[in-house]
Amino acid sequence: MIRLIVLKRTRPLKYGRLTTVALALAAGILLYTLILAVIGVNPLLTFSIISASFISSGVVKDFIVLTVLGYALLVAFKGSLWNIGAEGQFYMGAVPVIYLTTIVFFTTGSVSIIQSVLVIAGSIILAILFGGLWGAIAGAIKAYAGVDEVPVTLILNYVAYYLVNILILGPFQGKYVYGYKRTDLIPEAYQLSIRVQLAPTGNPVIDGLLSYVRELIIFGWWVLALAMVVTAVWWFFNKTSLGLKVKVLGSNPDYLVTAGWDVRKVTIATFAISGGIVGLMSALYLLGYLLRLEYPIESQTAGYGYLAILVAWLSLLDIALVPVSAYIISSLTNAGISQSSAPEVKQALAQAGFAGAELSFRWIMIGSILLTYSVLRFLSDYEVRVIRE
Amino acid sequence: MGSQQIELILKDVTKTFPGGVVALQDVSMKLGGGEFVALLGENGAGKSTLMKILYGIYTPDKGSIILNDEVLSIRKPSDAIRKGIVMVSQSPQLIDKLTVAENLTLGLENVKPLGGFSTASKMIKEYSLKVGVKIKPEDKVWSLTYTQKQLVEIVRALMLGAKILILDEALTYLPIEERKKFYVFLQEFKRNGGAVVVITHKIPEALEVADRIVVLRRGRVSGELTRDEASLEKVRELMFAEAAKEITYEKLPGSVKGEKPVIKAKDLWVQGDFGVHAVKGVSIEVKEGEVAGIAGVVGNGQRELLEALIGLRRVDKGRITIDGLDVTNKGVGQVRKMGVGFIPDLPLRFGVSQDNNIMENIAVLFHRERFVIDWVEIQELTRDIIKTFKILTPSEFYPVKILSGGNLMKVVVGRELNYSRRALVAYNPTRALDEITAVQVRRIIKAKAKNERIAVLFASEDLDEVYQLSDTIYVMNSGKIHGPFDPETTLKEEIEKLMVM
Repeated sequence: MIRLIVLKRTRPLKYGRLTTVALALAAGILLYTLILAVIGVNPLLTFSIISASFISSGVVKDFIVLTVLGYALLVAFKGSLWNIGAEGQFYMGAVPVIYLTTIVFFTTGSVSIIQSVLVIAGSIILAILFGGLWGAIAGAIKAYAGVDEVPVTLILNYVAYYLVNILILGPFQGKYVYGYKRTDLIPEAYQLSIRVQLAPTGNPVIDGLLSYVRELIIFGWWVLALAMVVTAVWWFFNKTSLGLKVKVLGSNPDYLVTAGWDVRKVTIATFAISGGIVGLMSALYLLGYLLRLEYPIESQTAGYGYLAILVAWLSLLDIALVPVSAYIISSLTNAGISQSSAPEVKQALAQAGFAGAELSFRWIMIGSILLTYSVLRFLSDYEVRVIRE
Repeated sequence: MGSQQIELILKDVTKTFPGGVVALQDVSMKLGGGEFVALLGENGAGKSTLMKILYGIYTPDKGSIILNDEVLSIRKPSDAIRKGIVMVSQSPQLIDKLTVAENLTLGLENVKPLGGFSTASKMIKEYSLKVGVKIKPEDKVWSLTYTQKQLVEIVRALMLGAKILILDEALTYLPIEERKKFYVFLQEFKRNGGAVVVITHKIPEALEVADRIVVLRRGRVSGELTRDEASLEKVRELMFAEAAKEITYEKLPGSVKGEKPVIKAKDLWVQGDFGVHAVKGVSIEVKEGEVAGIAGVVGNGQRELLEALIGLRRVDKGRITIDGLDVTNKGVGQVRKMGVGFIPDLPLRFGVSQDNNIMENIAVLFHRERFVIDWVEIQELTRDIIKTFKILTPSEFYPVKILSGGNLMKVVVGRELNYSRRALVAYNPTRALDEITAVQVRRIIKAKAKNERIAVLFASEDLDEVYQLSDTIYVMNSGKIHGPFDPETTLKEEIEKLMVM
């Protein structure tokens, strides 16, 4: 008789984590292609759209946002604090940015460079504080009332949505928006993107590379912030005593207490740091890309706060893998979008009676990747042996 | 119990752990029905690992388990239970919120689902009477004492149809009187054809109850002795080889205690886990360079007293001062900052963080002042502790969860001893350590008191330990403290009398 037995590896599998991610990716894409093929979409078309999205410069923006947010959540997750409130922290971070740039220091003309710098810097700092505070509220509720952080952060997301919606309908409503329910545009003087024109060369490979470079320059400030966040998070967990406490909190809070630390303070601080990083990204996103808020706010971003949960989860809380998983998730979301807007796909879906469900299909793909991944991740820790008896 | 005679053979069992630690190397062992076997060995010798393999918690790399000529394939505890092999460990695995009867009914495949409760109630009543430990089936588990919980565990094992009962230090921490009752009961289980394997580090007890003693040393069987052949010296030699001569229970030379009190408690009232006072008006004073030992049967308020002193438990009434500074209800952080080491009860739960490595476990206690950690300094300290306490680990970078129970305890003890600059508060400081390490730890404690003038207050259920280590002895009984007594002039019998009176 042949039996399969599962054993814990005595040594972790070399490159086990990367292998797991790659396998999960392949399996998820295969499943997605298969489902669409059943409906009548040519598998080759699906493959080509997905592969194209992985080498498309269009993912740069989402990649940066998701990496930063992924790190924000990683900080909390390492302490077993399940912060799923990045959405709320993101929008709370947006509040001071809109207030400073479109109300207090609003301008239609030009301002001194000093004022530009001060307003931008002030917006960013306040956004970090607001995001951090929103996170700390969840942390304090968990620490002092003992309520589980998952429902708390989730509820705070909705509180944030509606608070910001009220602000947009009320005091933040723009003066130059022709009655639309939105804020004024952030004046050019406070915008944070770098304008650049690169002439096409005619060579597709070079042009492809150039388009990456262009995106990286446009979001140059974001790239800088990203580099700072990576360094800071790495330093936090490897060199600082608070970072160590967060790790111990994630493994055994009882020992943290015995060692003489206040678990409540560590919990609140962790949430504040996590929310603060989200706030930073929020400020950059508004100043560099979104430029205004619009009612209803829930539909303004691509659900970055929730996608970031997938990024952090897929990274196995490994600092080096967060960018990898962020790249995968952003490529896949973009693939889903291109897929759903491709006329062949639209037609096939309509014929099969799924008209209008295009975007939902990408969630099937992301979902199946995460599912296979969750199943496969045990391979890096366990081995399967075949024995004959 | 089936009428069939049991014969269990473990053959050539080998097990390697993550990090390459070889826990067992070609270990073979036999067990028959009607037999009581004690499995002994120093920390990390592989006792628990071997039994966990038999119970399906670990899978062996190599080797087989043969029950009555049938080769068993045990991959998980339910496989073992189906074959009548059940293990009870030192920490109860019960669900606190449920009643005794509900806990007993959980996971019983061979009890009729509807009849479960009444069967369970009947059995627990019967065994509670037999063993002589009072339990009612409708008691909530959280309200039980440790002894009662362990009885529930054993009854559960019997309800699961255990023919081979493995007790991994399951009785070690019970008060002597109650432990004896359990042993009487286990002898009856044995006479009815059952087999018992007991893992313990208390050799005299093993000699008293076991028919056969199997000794493991560094992952191999170093010898087997029948009841008649076995003696304390022989067992120790098999366990520790030449190092056995280091074992001593002679009183360690005392130090001259200073005049300055370090730990001082006055009329302390502290609540236990269930809202009643566990410490009732205790006053105690430990001076510089003094080692004070509290003797007592477990559950008489020693744990609550020590936890209150370190700041883990609220003080209802009374004052605690450390080095003259009032620290009453100021929290653990304040007391720790003053350089007080603490060895907690249940060290594996409260004393280490299993997913972190040894260095991190040490740094989180030692690193208090600056925000940035000096890892070089911590690494030096870690290596020092690993060396002094002979901790078996592939390196200081491995998560501590791969260490054996005894080695984990060494991490806790080593760290806390090093941390004690002014005082050490310890609950069973040598629990789970083998005799050689235990003696070594006591020597280090004594040396620290003598050379670094720290004040030591410890509680121990082991009266020999209290006598070997203490300059001053106290006895705790029903939340009240008696003493101080001088170990030189006070007879053990007098102390024992105070413990149970």
